[in-house]
This record gives sequence, structure tokens and C-alpha cells, in this order.
Amino acid sequence: MTYFSKILLYLIIGFLAMWQLPWCYNFLAVEGSKSGFTLYSSILDDFVFIKHSDAGAVRKSLSGKEFTQNQFDSILPTFYLRQLVTDGRFPDTIKGIPVEPKMVQQENFNYRCVPSDINRPKIGLYSLLESMSKRVDLVMPDDVFRLTDSRIEFIDMKSNSINENKSQIFTAEMKKKGLVFPVKTLSGNPTTRKEYDEGYVMLDANNNVFHVKMTVGRPFVRSVKSPKDVTLKHLFITEFRNRKTLALITDTENKLYVLSPNYKITKVDIPSYDPKLNYITIMGNMFDWTIRITSKTEDNYYAIDNNTYQRIKEHKNKLSSNGIPTLSFTSSLDKFVKPRF
Amino acid sequence: MKAIFYKEWLKVRWYFILAIATSLGFSIFSILRINRVIELKGAGHIWEVMIQRDVIFIDLMQFVPIIMGICMAIVQFAPEMYHKSLKLTLHLPYSALKMTFVMLFSGFLLLLGTFFINMIVMNGYLSIVLAPELKWQILNTATVWYLAGIASYFLIAWIVFEPAWKRRLLNIGITLLLLKIFFMSDMPQAYNSFLPYLAIGSILIASLSWLSILRFKAGKQD
Repeated sequence: MTYFSKILLYLIIGFLAMWQLPWCYNFLAVEGSKSGFTLYSSILDDFVFIKHSDAGAVRKSLSGKEFTQNQFDSILPTFYLRQLVTDGRFPDTIKGIPVEPKMVQQENFNYRCVPSDINRPKIGLYSLLESMSKRVDLVMPDDVFRLTDSRIEFIDMKSNSINENKSQIFTAEMKKKGLVFPVKTLSGNPTTRKEYDEGYVMLDANNNVFHVKMTVGRPFVRSVKSPKDVTLKHLFITEFRNRKTLALITDTENKLYVLSPNYKITKVDIPSYDPKLNYITIMGNMFDWTIRITSKTEDNYYAIDNNTYQRIKEHKNKLSSNGIPTLSFTSSLDKFVKPRF
Repeated sequence: MKAIFYKEWLKVRWYFILAIATSLGFSIFSILRINRVIELKGAGHIWEVMIQRDVIFIDLMQFVPIIMGICMAIVQFAPEMYHKSLKLTLHLPYSALKMTFVMLFSGFLLLLGTFFINMIVMNGYLSIVLAPELKWQILNTATVWYLAGIASYFLIAWIVFEPAWKRRLLNIGITLLLLKIFFMSDMPQAYNSFLPYLAIGSILIASLSWLSILRFKAGKQD
């Protein structure tokens, strides 16, 4: 027992040293990298960025041209819409297309997804809103659903009991449209703080995508035809104000796709996006999307045409870190606590 | 062995009753809090907040088990160390190793009993008002806190048995770091995959007390 206790104590001390000493070094010595705000300007056909330093903010394009604050507003008219409208400088046309502030506002969207949104404990209960409510505002339902190996089950929250009737109706409709249980993954945005509801996109046991929502209390289920030789993996419902996309999808090769409301899947022309390891930010407007994909080693920007999803331009940055590997229990990539290097 | 159990029970019986009353008080208060929210805003509100905002409604209890574990070790062993009566106990015609572990095991059983009663009370109420997924979300999260309570009991016993202050300070440092591991995240169910290892680790650290007992027996002062 004495040997065992001694060995255990030394192991604990070693374990704590591996955890705390590199952490102290990284905390004191490692400087965070300051990445400026970068966006694609369709006016210049170039990426432009703002970098803050002690001398103040510097606004530049990648080609090196410097801009004043007013000039910067003008080369990003969809982003600085409110400023330009307030100053009376909002243009009548952008790239030859007549524009109204409301129209631009309708088309603008921001989307962000971090790995810890996916790598996290999941409860397995979801709210399905009524997507064709007769009221102006969306309302949270009185029940939630869970997906079992063979069906969808609605649970009434007040009585904490299964609503068999609703469960059977939805299960039957989902099976009728070809959905095979168990559902592998699903994505929805069950909140009333949005303009409309598209329910959920689900990936069934055969890796086929289905769109499931509730309209006037009845199930609405649509099957989506997947591209050939592609195994879809992660789904992300979008519900952007412009209603031009239904979901973003990635496959097992980490390619990104857009699912449009007419259930067509189109590949986005970017090299790779792994939702479990990469951060993604998309800033969209009526002309293009600026997609930023950040990993531990790279911070890449892609300008994508918002109709064809083809790449217009790209800007790649290598990230360096002078930190040393450390034993840690938490990570920015997930929300689990477990030892890892 | 029965006599040692009885001796330990006599030492901690009043504290045990106080610990049960206090922890039950916190459990029942948390339950009443949930019940009040249900009465005011409906059961749906509790479900939605738990599903969408990762709220577990029993956060008041987070540090109760660890405080109970620390107090149990102090109440059980500090007076004996202060009055040097542990020396007499260890000179009884019984293996010192067995004696040490029977003493620790009795405190561990009492703590476990306290936590078990808490779990039963919470499980009983939560099963009525919440879906199993939500109930386990709460109980799983609480399990980490209860494991911290058990680990704190064994670690504080290790500190209390240690005869020299210099070494005791080192033990306190190690204890603080080890206990920090149990409170690295507020995210419900964040520890799920790590939980079995934490449970095994929490039990294994009971063996550290034997090192302090050996030093105590040898009269080490540095």
C-alpha cells in the first residue's frame, strides 16, 4: 500500500505539473494575434480591412490602398448602409443595379458557427414551432419532441406525458416520405426571435436530408435529393431574412453546400470547412458572401458569388503560435471537460 | 472492525445529522424554487430554459457537497489529531493500515448516504415535472459536485493526518488544484465522458492518507 500511495502521489504531482506549468508559461508569455476586421468589397473587387493600432484605425485594401473613414463606408455600401443613409450618401445604384436601403437590409445577413456549437452535450429534446401561425409573431409550442430509434415523440410539457396522437401522425408522415429512423443529426432554430420558421432539417439513417416542419398543426415533410457520391454529415438551418437559403450542409470530405428553398443542393466553392474544428463566419449581402474560416493554423477569407456560390477571390493567412503544448481540461473547440493535450 | 465503525459514528453523529439536514434543506429549497417558477410561469418555461439556456436550477447546491466533505474530514479527524489520541488508536492490536481505511471508509459511507438521500429526494420530484432527459441533465451535473465532496473528504483527511505544517501546505496546494478539476465548467453534462475516471480517482486518493499516517507514526516534523 505504501508503494501504491507513493506512486499515486508522484503521478498526481506529475499530472498537475503538466497541467499548471505550461499553462503559467502560456499565460505569461504568449501574445494573442490581433486579426483586423476584413470584408470583401464588390466595389473594389478586393478584400478591405481595418486594423487598430496605437496610432488609430488603419483602413486599407489588400492591394495596399489606404482609405479615410468616409471612403471606407462608400466601398462597403451594403455593410455601412445605416451610416450612408444617415449621411445622405447612400447610392442609387451599386454595380449598376438600382438599390433601396430596405432592399439591401433585406439581403444582408451574418452567420457564425463555432466548433463548440457542435462539440457539446446535447439534451435530445427540441421544440417544433408552428410555421404557419395566423399570428404575426411566432409562439413557442406547449410540447417538445425527441427522436427515438423508430419514431418521433412529442411530449406535453405541462403533463410531462407523450402526446401519442401527434407522435403517430408525424412519425407516419416522416416514414411515408422515406425518412428512415434513427435520425443521425438535425438542425433547427427554435426561437420566437426570428421572422419566420422553417422547422428542422434532418439527416436520416441512410444519410438523406429531410425538411420537417409543422404547418397548421400538420406535419410538412420534404425529401431532399443528395448529390451523387456525396455523404452528407452536418446540417445547419439558416433562416436568413432573404429566404434564399434553407440550410448549409457539409459532407464527410468537409465540403460546404447550400440547400436552397427549392431543395436543390449546390456546392460552395471553398476548399474545406470542418465544423468540428473550424470557426466559420459568413457576412452576406445582395452581391456576395465573405466567408471567413479559421482553424488553429490558418485564417482564410473567401469571397463567393451569392447566386452561383463560385469563388470570386480568396485571401489566406497563416497563424502562428509560440505557446507550448499543455495538458488541459477544457478547449475552445468543445464544451466538454476531459484531459487532453 | 465493528468497534471502529461505532467509534467513528460517535465522533461524527451530530455532524452527520446536521449535514443531512443542511443538504436536504438545499435540495428542498431548489425543488421549491423550481415549483415556484412552474406555478408562476408554467412548466413549459422550465423546460425551455433548460433546453435552450443550459440552466439546471440547482446551482445553489454546487458547493454544498464539497463543504460537507471538508467538514466531515475535519470533524472526524481534527480533534483526534489535536488531542494526539490518534497515536493511541494506531497502537491498538489491529493493523494500522486497516484501522486507517476503516476510519476513512466509515466517513465515506456516511457522506455517500447523505448524497444518496439528496439524490433520491431530487429524483422523486424531478421525475414528476421533467422529462427523463432533463432530469438526468440535473442529476448528472450534481454527480460531479458529489464526487467533489468525496474527493474533498479524502484530501482533507490526508491534510489533517499530516504531522508537519510544511508538508501540509504542499498537500493543501495539491488539494486545491485537484478540487479545481471538478469545477472547470458550468455546462451541464460537460463531464459525462470524464465522470467514470473522476469517480475512480476520487476513491483512489483515499490511499494518500496512508502516507500521512506513516509520517505521523514516524513522528516526522519536516
